[in-house]
Amino acid sequence: MKAKHWKVNPVYYIGVGIMAILFFTFHTVPFLKGVFYSFTDWKGFGDWNFVGLKNYGVVFSNKDILSAYFFTFKFALVSTILVNIVSLFLACGLSANVRFKSFLRGVYFLPYMLGMLIVGFVFNFIFGNLIPELGRAVKSDALSTNILGSSHAFWAIVFVTIWAGCAFDTLIYMAGLQAIDKEIYEAAALDGAIGWKRFIRVTFPLLAPSFTINMVLSVKSYLMVYDQIMAMTGGGPGKSTTSIAVMIYKQGLGHGQFAVQTANAVVLFIVVVVISVFQLRVLEKREEKVG
Amino acid sequence: MKKKAFVALVSAMICTVSVFGMTGCKGSNSNEVEFFSSKSENAQIMKKLVDQFNKEHAKEGVKVVLNTPADAGTVLKTRLTKNDIPDIIAYGGDQTYTELESAGVLKDLSQESYMNSVSDQYMQMVYDVQKDREKTAYAVPYATNASGVIYNVDKFKELGLKIPKTWDEFEEVIRRIEDAGGQPFEYAFKDDWTLLPPWNSMAPDLAPETFYDERLAGKTTFESTHKEIADKYLELLKHGQKDIMGTGYDDANKAFANGDAYMLINGNWAISEIKKNNPDIHLDMFALPASNDESKNYVTSGVDVLLCASAKTKHPKIVKEFLEFMMKPENNQKYIDDQFAFSPINGVEQKDETVASAQKDIEKGKVANFPDHYYPSGYDLASILSEYAMNYSTGMKDEENTKEFLKNLDTQYDAVNNK
Repeated sequence: MKAKHWKVNPVYYIGVGIMAILFFTFHTVPFLKGVFYSFTDWKGFGDWNFVGLKNYGVVFSNKDILSAYFFTFKFALVSTILVNIVSLFLACGLSANVRFKSFLRGVYFLPYMLGMLIVGFVFNFIFGNLIPELGRAVKSDALSTNILGSSHAFWAIVFVTIWAGCAFDTLIYMAGLQAIDKEIYEAAALDGAIGWKRFIRVTFPLLAPSFTINMVLSVKSYLMVYDQIMAMTGGGPGKSTTSIAVMIYKQGLGHGQFAVQTANAVVLFIVVVVISVFQLRVLEKREEKVG
Repeated sequence: MKKKAFVALVSAMICTVSVFGMTGCKGSNSNEVEFFSSKSENAQIMKKLVDQFNKEHAKEGVKVVLNTPADAGTVLKTRLTKNDIPDIIAYGGDQTYTELESAGVLKDLSQESYMNSVSDQYMQMVYDVQKDREKTAYAVPYATNASGVIYNVDKFKELGLKIPKTWDEFEEVIRRIEDAGGQPFEYAFKDDWTLLPPWNSMAPDLAPETFYDERLAGKTTFESTHKEIADKYLELLKHGQKDIMGTGYDDANKAFANGDAYMLINGNWAISEIKKNNPDIHLDMFALPASNDESKNYVTSGVDVLLCASAKTKHPKIVKEFLEFMMKPENNQKYIDDQFAFSPINGVEQKDETVASAQKDIEKGKVANFPDHYYPSGYDLASILSEYAMNYSTGMKDEENTKEFLKNLDTQYDAVNNK
């Protein structure tokens, strides 16, 4: 048999090899090209010259780019915390012996099936048309204006993000909850840990692996927030909801600042990597302690 | 063993599918000439013209195919990055065209027969947005637009209002509408580009004529020259509906079509959208009178659609014929009529009453180009104006807001002008 000559069946090499090639050509190569062009004054087409670190200088001195970073960090922090709190509650609720459990699980998972862009457009309509109509019907001044055109647009976007983002996190937490041995709960009950205390002292620490995954993935995806903002506000009003990704797209492709925004994208990449690695380190240490 | 064979088969399938998938995206038919058009609003009439052309040229075996992607500017620029240039391009006379032209990928059209019939004024606007203002016709204007004040004729009649010729008269009109309990303007600032038309309509009337060049050279500032424009802009914001920042373009057009407001500051392109919501509405459009000197109140009119062609096309003959076909006065008239647009071709006139007042000014040549066509391409004026309007709606003091806005105009300009 062939297996004698190969330690591992070659099929696996073929499978991995194809993926590696695809990944390299469509991800790594464009990425390296992007890094390269961030040191040039390329407009996206035509001729270019090397300009050294000039683009990075612009990124760190441009007021709008810095405020986009501020917005994005604030957004990522708030959304990550809220999404995880809500998901944890939902997961606990859906793991308990409630009625219609499987139906409810399906309902809470639905937002994940919809594209973020679609969710954004639906809420755009709700905030822009349905809620103001309701507001006029009940003669409420606050409700009859579109929140997306106000200085509270940030919170509207956070709300939609939570609505759509909880599904995945809840799923991970539910899986984590199912992995906890029932005997541990029994032992905890004998020691007097029930209700809230049980959650804090027993359940939550044992959820550590799920918590790590959720924290890292949420922070990563919320730092790169794009779809829901494009669908709902396009970065407005003013520039108040312009995230880094939105800015890279709008300024880089729409306003001819290709090189500067490529540099910005590289900076964003580094920021995401650093934060993710830091999180993993800290949270894995915590896991070890718990385990 | 069977299982392994199955895995091998699946991987082989994935491999072939992905390879074919890739080639499938790229493979354009060599018998097709691509006509890239940037506007979705004119897709229908463009399609009609293309179909007619294809019918007339069926023998030649080459077909013109219309392509109107969403967010066309980005698509076109992205394609330029790959040196994949459409054979024929219909685009606006703005900075994206400047970038396209300066990349040196366009065909020189100076010797074409239709060049003689094009109005000098609009041809000049094409030259103005070319790199170094080069006077070579790399594009020909096809349709022009006008930005100004669209008003509801019936509602104006009810109050006995006339078209204002000066800023004072304009303010008087606004006052009389408000005295009668009406709402003068409907704004759509949730879509931030709608903040541009009022600016574009006022700036040419009030800014110094040499401003664009001097600002580019750093010899003047917005702060020292645009105070009056900023003040008047803010003044106009005060007479809109309650939720000016939260209303989008479609909703505003609907509200205006239903008679909620007397006026809408936008361009002729909005007319067909308004009429979709209310086919019976009587509209007309006048130049926004920003100055008290009547002779300075221009209609802001620019090249809305220009046609240009790739220098490297595989089908130069068809491309040439297609441009000649499009530039025929009777075909241009079809386009103009469908789009409520204006024509840069001498002798082709917009006869529709909905833009009659603006057409009169255009005929007289009382026209100024859109100022934002002269700003650097990285200059995001819409979002600066959006911040200005936002600060107003959150209750910032006018004086402080205007000061900050003017300063912002300059700092943002300098940020993108560092070449």
